[in-house]
Amino acid sequence: MSCAHLSSFKTNHGIDSYIRLHRALITPLSALGRSQSALMRQCTKCSERMKQSVLHIHNLSVELTCGQVFCHVCGDYVYDEELEALNDHRFNQYHVSLGLGVKFQPWKASQQEISLLKKHKKRKVLSSSPTVGLRGLVNLGNTCFMSVIVQSLIHTPLLRDYFLSDRHICSQEDNKEQCIVCEISRLFQEFYSGAKSPLVPHVLLHMTWTHAHHLAGYEQQDAHEFFIATLDLLHRHLIRRTDVNPSNCDCIVDTIFTGKLQSDVVCQACRNVSTTIDPFWDISLDLPTVLPQNQVGPVSLHHCLERFTKPEHLGSTAKIKCSICKSYQESTKQLTMKKLPIVASFHLKRFEHSSRLHKKITTRVAFPEHLDMSPFVSHMRNSKSETGGSSSSSSTSSNDALTDSPIRNNRYTLFAVINHIGTIEAGHYMSYIRQHRDKWYLCNDHQIVPASIHDVLDSEGYLLFYHKQRLEYS
Amino acid sequence: MSAAASSSTPGSSSSSGHAEVKSLLHQRLIESGEKERLKEHLKTRLVECGWRDQLKLSAKEIIRQKGLEHVKLDELIAEITPKGRATVPDAVKRELLARIKDFLAQQENI
Repeated sequence: MSCAHLSSFKTNHGIDSYIRLHRALITPLSALGRSQSALMRQCTKCSERMKQSVLHIHNLSVELTCGQVFCHVCGDYVYDEELEALNDHRFNQYHVSLGLGVKFQPWKASQQEISLLKKHKKRKVLSSSPTVGLRGLVNLGNTCFMSVIVQSLIHTPLLRDYFLSDRHICSQEDNKEQCIVCEISRLFQEFYSGAKSPLVPHVLLHMTWTHAHHLAGYEQQDAHEFFIATLDLLHRHLIRRTDVNPSNCDCIVDTIFTGKLQSDVVCQACRNVSTTIDPFWDISLDLPTVLPQNQVGPVSLHHCLERFTKPEHLGSTAKIKCSICKSYQESTKQLTMKKLPIVASFHLKRFEHSSRLHKKITTRVAFPEHLDMSPFVSHMRNSKSETGGSSSSSSTSSNDALTDSPIRNNRYTLFAVINHIGTIEAGHYMSYIRQHRDKWYLCNDHQIVPASIHDVLDSEGYLLFYHKQRLEYS
Repeated sequence: MSAAASSSTPGSSSSSGHAEVKSLLHQRLIESGEKERLKEHLKTRLVECGWRDQLKLSAKEIIRQKGLEHVKLDELIAEITPKGRATVPDAVKRELLARIKDFLAQQENI
């Protein structure tokens, strides 16, 4: 609320003095302005004087951190719509000038929204009941591969936030029945509607059949293949264009799932490094058939990732043309994570298809609840494998210093695990999903039962989904 | 106008030197805009870990008890500040400290 004192000040003097204060002291846009404001704020004499003069004549002063107006007669802060709007505007400019982007503004209901809310009294409140957001999926005939992926996607925190906040605005207004993003959006609504009966995902299945022909029919399918096909379909329906550079796409699928893999090929003759960077949605990990020596206990996910990011000798049968030597040379190849995705999806290659046989590998792979990906990030991995490479350390930028500091932002938490039971010919998929931070549930088609984290970590694991703990907002 | 904040505080020469460094650092933080960046970062972390929601709840509770008409912002701030300070997670403090140290290390003549 504004007060009478501020209102009369405004009618007599306008708001110029407020704008001047903002420019000089609160939100100076130049470095020079900031340094002057820093000096002025430190000068106790000046600020004392300023405060007094303001006080004496008008009983008003301005708080210098947030730009709020204080009325000394009322003894409290006053909120004037015009000054508030100006304050927000100035802070936005200030933030942009510092390279911080537009300042986050909490939602303020407009008059129209208020009247809409008054007209529609029915409210949906997300209760603390742990069963909200949980629904079984009816198996439509060998469709458990689809159920497990839908369960995992529905419980991907950022994807849930995107859909429940109604962010998908369909560009296909007249053809919404054909849009798979709209269908996923409908599924989210169904999951969070509070209804408990299992859902029948026939529309999604039909869409998959029409858009991804290789998954059509009532045969058993690979959940991993369906996962990639679904991301691809969502991505294609989201962008509706083909000219988007896949490594720079900002659709919600790419925002959440895309990471970048750096491949360094080192020529063994001249040590020339040729680097390529490719986007990825998931990481397929080979399972070691022979356990490494000194290995105690089962193979771990960490171990698989170490193997994945280890330099690999390509051998004499796979020579690569070196751009420096101008000839085919033996080389080594190393993969590292150039950019980590928000959701890291790991695919343990349990199904082996070779010319001789098709079989399922049941090697136990221990995977943790919390995973630190730092050791596999490109510059960390590379600096470790270099022996005398201290030349680059002097040019370390502030960004690198931050990632090297003890606070690493590369920690991930498990939120979904998909397991395959049975043989390569006939089997069944089930998924563990996390809900409400640390409650786990086992989803088996239409059935959902509570589970413990121990059940999850003791399971075999086929697809593992990890969510980044800390998000960088950019 | 001179930055005379430290001269008025009595104390040994080492502590006044310390205060001088502190005020100089503070000034550099403002000048470079780093202070605003740190503030923004801190806000994000506090929102992420639920600190903001928790404190908001206790502020709402105080307002509910006293009645909206009887609460003044300065009093409310004074009342919830001890709780707010005490509930900042250590990890957040450590991270902020590390970033300030990084900034200090990049500065010349401090």
